[in-house]
Amino acid sequence: MVISHDACYYLGYVSKAQGFKGGIIAFLDVDDPGAYRNLKSLLIDINGVLTPFFVETLNLKDKGFVHLKLEGLDDGATAARLANKELFLPLENLPELPEDEYYLHDLVGMKVEDAELGELGAVEKVMDYSANPMIQLFRDSAEVLIPLNDAFIDRVDKKNKIIFVSLPDGLIDLNQS
Amino acid sequence: MSRSLKKPPFIHYKLASRVENTQAGGKKSVIKTWSRASTITPDFVGLTIAVHNGNKFIPVYVTENMVGHKLGEFSPTRTFRGHSGNRKDKKR
Repeated sequence: MVISHDACYYLGYVSKAQGFKGGIIAFLDVDDPGAYRNLKSLLIDINGVLTPFFVETLNLKDKGFVHLKLEGLDDGATAARLANKELFLPLENLPELPEDEYYLHDLVGMKVEDAELGELGAVEKVMDYSANPMIQLFRDSAEVLIPLNDAFIDRVDKKNKIIFVSLPDGLIDLNQS
Repeated sequence: MSRSLKKPPFIHYKLASRVENTQAGGKKSVIKTWSRASTITPDFVGLTIAVHNGNKFIPVYVTENMVGHKLGEFSPTRTFRGHSGNRKDKKR
């Protein structure tokens, strides 16, 4: 059975091989890498195909990096070929969030509704800059960037896929030519 | 080499006056600026500054954590090619 990218979420990437016994260093692009301490398996994107691997050992390192030993990967040369490959996990592995929390990838495609201007458009992309995360949408083919901040985002209706916002003057037509 | 302590932090004079006027006016509209080198001071907190990255304006909502940093740090000049991963964000 082939697993599609749509049914998975991005977990991180393989940074490099370590040692001669097939160990790899991977970066987990997640809030809490510690939550993956007991990871049993993962998917690696090899030439566009998500290939499952069983995890033998996983040791946490600094700054989101982990040392992984995967089953069937026993030499350094094979492990080195996985460098820069992306890691994925099935979406069903994600825990259900309470009503007041949401995953950033869930925002893509949601409608954005302003308290004064009404519907602005649908979220095209989430720009996950660590200091200033933003959502991107297009209104009359002009790009609108909205910082993901409590000051602007009133409520996220996950059921009806609507983000309610209150934007300050001038934010909408910031990049209109 | 760090900036001499006898000098105050650099803030472009036009930006400083706009911040002052906006804070005094009470209406928090977006302030456009090209001055990426200006330092964020506590006066900026709560304002939305649109910082130019050479191509477009990036809106930055200034929070207390940003004080002491430069505006340019929050307006990346390279195209975003990252993922949104499984990162989650809290909302009320």
